Amino acid sequence: MSSSIAEQRFREIVPPLLDDAYSLAKWLSRNPTDAEDIVQDAALRALQALSSVSVDRPKPWFLAIVRNAAMTFMARNRRKTVAYVGDMADLETLDLPQGDDAAPNPEQELIALQDGERLRQAIASLASPFLETLVMRDINGLSYREIAEATETPVGTVMSRLARARAMLARTLRSEP
Amino acid sequence: MTDRDVDERLLRLNAALDGELDAMGSLEFEREMRDDAALAAEYRRLTTLRDAVRRHVPREAAPQALADRIAALTAPPAQATAAPTATVIPFRRRAWLDSRALAMAASFAVLGFAVGVGLTSLHAPSGSGDVAQHLVSDFARAEIAGQPFDVASSDRHTVKPWLANRTTVSGTIVDLAPEGFPLVGGRVTIVDRVPTPTLVYRHNEHVVALTELPLDAKGVRGGTGGMETIDGYHVARWSDANLTYVAVSDMDEKALGEFVEAFRRGGASATEPAKP
Repeated sequence: MSSSIAEQRFREIVPPLLDDAYSLAKWLSRNPTDAEDIVQDAALRALQALSSVSVDRPKPWFLAIVRNAAMTFMARNRRKTVAYVGDMADLETLDLPQGDDAAPNPEQELIALQDGERLRQAIASLASPFLETLVMRDINGLSYREIAEATETPVGTVMSRLARARAMLARTLRSEP
Repeated sequence: MTDRDVDERLLRLNAALDGELDAMGSLEFEREMRDDAALAAEYRRLTTLRDAVRRHVPREAAPQALADRIAALTAPPAQATAAPTATVIPFRRRAWLDSRALAMAASFAVLGFAVGVGLTSLHAPSGSGDVAQHLVSDFARAEIAGQPFDVASSDRHTVKPWLANRTTVSGTIVDLAPEGFPLVGGRVTIVDRVPTPTLVYRHNEHVVALTELPLDAKGVRGGTGGMETIDGYHVARWSDANLTYVAVSDMDEKALGEFVEAFRRGGASATEPAKP
C-alpha cells in the first residue's frame, strides 16, 4: 500500500520539523492558535503529497508547504492586517539611503537590541515578504537557496529582501525611543 | 557611490554574514574589511543585530497538543499491516507472540497481527518528568497491539546500521542469543522529539524493549540506575560512558536482571577492538 510508505516518510520528515514549522506559522499569522491550525493543515498536505513525490531536502520542502498553508489560511480568514504582498516591483529594489542614517544613533540601536520585546515588535511590523525571509533565515536557519526554493523566489530577490528586512529592523530600532 | 554600488555593498555584507560567500569571495571580503573601517563597522552592527534576533526570537517549540495531533495523523497503534520500505525487512509476528496477544486482546484479533511499520511517539515531560513511565506505556500498548518493529531482524549487523541511519544515537547492539535472549528487531522511538533506538529481545514467552538514550536526555534520572516496577512491568536502567539504557519487560525481575547483566557484559566487550 503506497499510503503506508507515504506515512513512513511522513513520520521521518515532519515530526523533527514541527518546531520550525510552528515558529514560521506563528510569525506569519501572528497568532499561536492560527499557527497550530496552519501547521496541521500543512501536515495533511505533506502527507498527501508524499504518496506521489520524493523529497530531497525536507526542510525547505515542508516549510514551503507551511508558508502556502499560511497564505491560504490568511486569505480564507480575511486577516486584512497581514495581507500578503506578492511580487511587487517595489519590493525588489533595495531603496536604502543607509549612508545617511547609519551613523546618527547606533547607541540607540544597541540599547534597543537588548530589549527583546521591542525587537519582536519591530520584526512583526515587517511586511510579509521581508518577514518570511528573515524568519526563514535567522529562525529556521535556511540557506539563501533553500529560502528561494521555499518561497519560489529568485535567489537575488531573497538576498535583497533579507538585506532590506535587516536594514528596516535596524532603522526601526534606532528611531523609536 | 551610485545606488547600485550601495545595493551591492549591502548584499555582500549580508551574504558574508550568512556564510553565503564562496571561499574566494570571503577572502576578498576580509581583505576589504581590513582596509575599510566603515565596512567593518557596518559588518559588526549587522552581526549584533543578527545575534540579537537569534537570542530574543528563538525557534519556538510546537505545543505538545499539536505534536500529538500530527503524530495521530499516521499510525494508529493497532494498525494492521504496512508495506515495508526498501530498507525494512518484511516480518510477520511469530506464533509465540500471536498466542500471547490473542489472550491479551482478543478484540484485536480480527485485525490480524502483522506488524506495522510503527513509529511510536513518546514525549517526556520537561523538567523532572521521567522517561521510564512513558517507555512503559509504550511497551504496554505494544503488548496489546503487537510489538512494532521498524526493522525485524535477528542480525545485529542489519539492525545497527538501519537504526544508526535514523536516530541521533549511535547505539550498542549485543548478540545475546547464546544467553537466551535472541534479538528480534528494532524500532525508532521518539523520546522528547529525539528519535532514539529501541531494541527488542525475546526470552521464552517474554519480550524486553531496550531503549538507548543520550546521557543528557531529558527525563532520564541520573545515578547508577537499578530496578523498579512501573504499572506491573519491570524496568531496569543503567548508564555506561556513552549512553543511558532503559529496559522494559514483562519478564520477572530475576530474568531481567540476567538480561541486563549479559547486555552490560556484552556491551563492554563490544567496545573492544573487533576480534578476528
